Amino acid sequence: MVELAVTDLALRYGESEILKGVSVTLPAGKVVALLGPSVSGKTTLLRAVAGLETPYRGSIRIGDNVMFDAARKIELPAEARGLGLVFQSYALWPHRTVFENVAYGLKLRRVSAPDIKSRVERTLGQIGLAHLSDRYPHQLSGGQQQRVALARALIYEPAVILLDEPLSNLDAKLREEARAWLRALIVSLKLSALLVTHDQIEAMAIADHITLLNGGLIEQQGTPIDLYREPATLFAAEFMGNNNRLEGTLVENPDNKAVIEVMGDRLQGIARTSAPAGSKGTGIIRLEKVVLGGGPGPNRILMTLKTQMYIGERWELLFTKGELSVRAYTSALLKHERYHVEFPPQALWIF
Amino acid sequence: MTVESPAGAVPTLRVAIPFTFYRFVVIAVTAAVVLAPLSLVFYQSFLDAPFFQPAARLSLYAYRFVFADEDFWVAFGTTLLLASGMTLIAVPLGAGLAFLMVRTDVPGRNWLEPIILIPIFVSAVVLAFGYVVALGPVGILTTSMRELIGVAPWNLYSFPFLVAIAGLTHVPHVYLYAAAALRGLGSDVEEAARTAGAKPWRVALDVSLPMVLPAILFAAVLVFFLGFELFGLPLVLGDPQGVLVLSTYLFKLTNKLGVPSYQLMAVVVVAIVAITAPLVFVQRLLLREAQRYVSVRGKGVRLAALRLGAWRWAAFAAIALWFVFSVVLPLAGITLRSFVETWGEGIALSEVLTLDHYRELLDYPNVVRSMINTLGIGVIGGAAAVVFYTAIALAVHRWPSQWTRIIDYLVMLPRAMPGLVAGLALLWVFLFFKPITPLRQTLVSVWLAYTVVWLAYGMRLVSGTLLQVAPELEEAGRTTGASETRVKFDVTLPLIRAGMLASWLLIFLIFVREYSTGIYLLGPGTEVIGSLVISLWGTGAIDLVSALSVVNVGMIGIGLLIAIRLGVRLHG
Repeated sequence: MVELAVTDLALRYGESEILKGVSVTLPAGKVVALLGPSVSGKTTLLRAVAGLETPYRGSIRIGDNVMFDAARKIELPAEARGLGLVFQSYALWPHRTVFENVAYGLKLRRVSAPDIKSRVERTLGQIGLAHLSDRYPHQLSGGQQQRVALARALIYEPAVILLDEPLSNLDAKLREEARAWLRALIVSLKLSALLVTHDQIEAMAIADHITLLNGGLIEQQGTPIDLYREPATLFAAEFMGNNNRLEGTLVENPDNKAVIEVMGDRLQGIARTSAPAGSKGTGIIRLEKVVLGGGPGPNRILMTLKTQMYIGERWELLFTKGELSVRAYTSALLKHERYHVEFPPQALWIF
Repeated sequence: MTVESPAGAVPTLRVAIPFTFYRFVVIAVTAAVVLAPLSLVFYQSFLDAPFFQPAARLSLYAYRFVFADEDFWVAFGTTLLLASGMTLIAVPLGAGLAFLMVRTDVPGRNWLEPIILIPIFVSAVVLAFGYVVALGPVGILTTSMRELIGVAPWNLYSFPFLVAIAGLTHVPHVYLYAAAALRGLGSDVEEAARTAGAKPWRVALDVSLPMVLPAILFAAVLVFFLGFELFGLPLVLGDPQGVLVLSTYLFKLTNKLGVPSYQLMAVVVVAIVAITAPLVFVQRLLLREAQRYVSVRGKGVRLAALRLGAWRWAAFAAIALWFVFSVVLPLAGITLRSFVETWGEGIALSEVLTLDHYRELLDYPNVVRSMINTLGIGVIGGAAAVVFYTAIALAVHRWPSQWTRIIDYLVMLPRAMPGLVAGLALLWVFLFFKPITPLRQTLVSVWLAYTVVWLAYGMRLVSGTLLQVAPELEEAGRTTGASETRVKFDVTLPLIRAGMLASWLLIFLIFVREYSTGIYLLGPGTEVIGSLVISLWGTGAIDLVSALSVVNVGMIGIGLLIAIRLGVRLHG
């Protein structure tokens, strides 16, 4: 069953087109992440779903109810959509206690005072903040505020919960813990959630499906594994993971097996372009896929080791050859000056 | 872990009255309040008699009359000269004062600020009285000097003196904007110049000054504009020697022909507004220009204060001298005058000290009423005005619509009417619209005039507070299920309570200080101290005027103390 369906949504601010026709579906009980760089329109899409922005084309459905339909001139105000939205800044009301913040949605829905009390207490208990219910937001840590914001959005059981960069205001250490906690909470409550993030790791970790946005259009949709292992476009390949970019010229381009010439060396890879031989091409390979060969061989380039950086569990290497530079990982410090760097054909995408 | 609903489904929400309806009601009310007086003045200026006379007909007679009057052109020229002169004095001094206070180690920079701003909050007419009793031909200081050296070394009633006093009392206006701009400059842009090799004075000239120039230019236009509004100073200091400016010319016209010459007054008002309205518009453009630099403000620590060395105390003395002349002298003069029976050559202070003038205040019912009314209009009227400003500000707050521009301009318009003019225009509104005519003899008329005159200022205070409420806080209310109206009551208003309280205090100060707006509305029951002292001054009741002025300054002083105590920023 589809909980949320966004169809061909287009939106502009003045002259600039922010969304250019985006369709997303959110199956019940799943998490869909809207992933993209800062001007991709992902937050705007989320806000349009919430009813805080008005698109000029397209429709938004939640369950069987139309929330927005440009053609039929239907637009429900934000308060009538029954969604839960967790803001990036949390947007806790500073003049209300934790209890009052969380209780507000129930109060608006005319739930009786004793019921409000018991439900808020139960929810605060579930997120481990029962002892803080009389505090004011400024007396809480960032992580606690984030949980209160979540509780406030969940308390009235919205059909869909919207999360706008929910972890970005936490510091790095806390963020990783909160990520696991959030995923566990969503799964155990069987929530249907739409999550906006610019962090590909966060998207892959929390979401069941990822919609990758770029410049107001969908670049690719799929499971985290699809997106990471089978990027369809150059943008998708570069956005996910840490990559090397090899600019060159296409030499051959038959089905699924392209060859690119990079500074005199020929590399074979998976064809992701239909451009004819002779045109410019770009090879993309994840850092962790680059290997070091013992000697000359196919798909190898002889490169100079410029620098080695210790980054904890491994070393990050920088190789150069003329203007070309390539990064890779090893588990041990290297001793030689030059290496035959190998780009395995099954891990090299050629666009 | 589950979140379950005890009664199954969550009840649905009720449908609220659309907030848009409220918005348009507010726009309509604001438009009526702002446009009615202005249109009435405009209409009246094209009649050949007061609008209430049935014989009044459309004509250009009034324009021909006024423009043929030599006095009008003299007054116009004098106004230009006065406004330019005070601008030339106030701008360099205000900018210099700001630089000393913000960027150097001048002694007392931490506590001087509220004191520097005092002239903004003291009624100009009280200051003018103070100068007369201190420096006038028979003033306290003048007679002392004459006893000492045989002649009076100065003539208060001279035009240069008037210009100097107007200029010096407007230094704080320039200071406010220049200091704010200097503070807003990121220290990083200056540090960049320092590290590039520029000496502190070079940095001030090459980086700081150009970047605050838009703010100073804005302040200059503001002071020039205020020059056209001046009323109390020229009335008290210029009138005795026949110096007329446009506002005092307008005031004199009241009785020029024996009958109320509304049509002539209307023409003068149109002439004044024709000059001030463009100035208001220019200020608006300049303010936007000035704010362009705010976006480049940097973070980081304050730049270390510029060391003045031996000049520290010279700078302090200059500030003290300015302060003594612009504040201490007139206020001390009027205070002293209020405690003595009489003053003249050869009189010993100890023999003439008295509290009689204060006792006398209570003998006159209109004086008693004026004190009660002033407090009432400050406290209750101030609160009501803040409520009114908040109602408008809320209506347009974060409204993505072209209508907000209309409100912007509407709010700006009354700023072009000097208080005297606005009071007159409101008087006509009350006379013209018969159903509200009875309100003219009540404080409601005065309150409405004050509220309209200070509309732009009050709106700026309240909108400034509103802008500090993060948009997500309101959006969170909407997505949680609250209607727009509900969000305003549950989220926005509680969050701006402190800001509204601060606005109330500032509006209190301004309403208590106000004098010119109430002049034409002055009558039994509508006396306020400001307008009453002007009318008493005309009768020569200097004892009463002094005591009443001191009471007025005392009220403002208490308000200022409360404001400073509560940490209210004295400028919006």
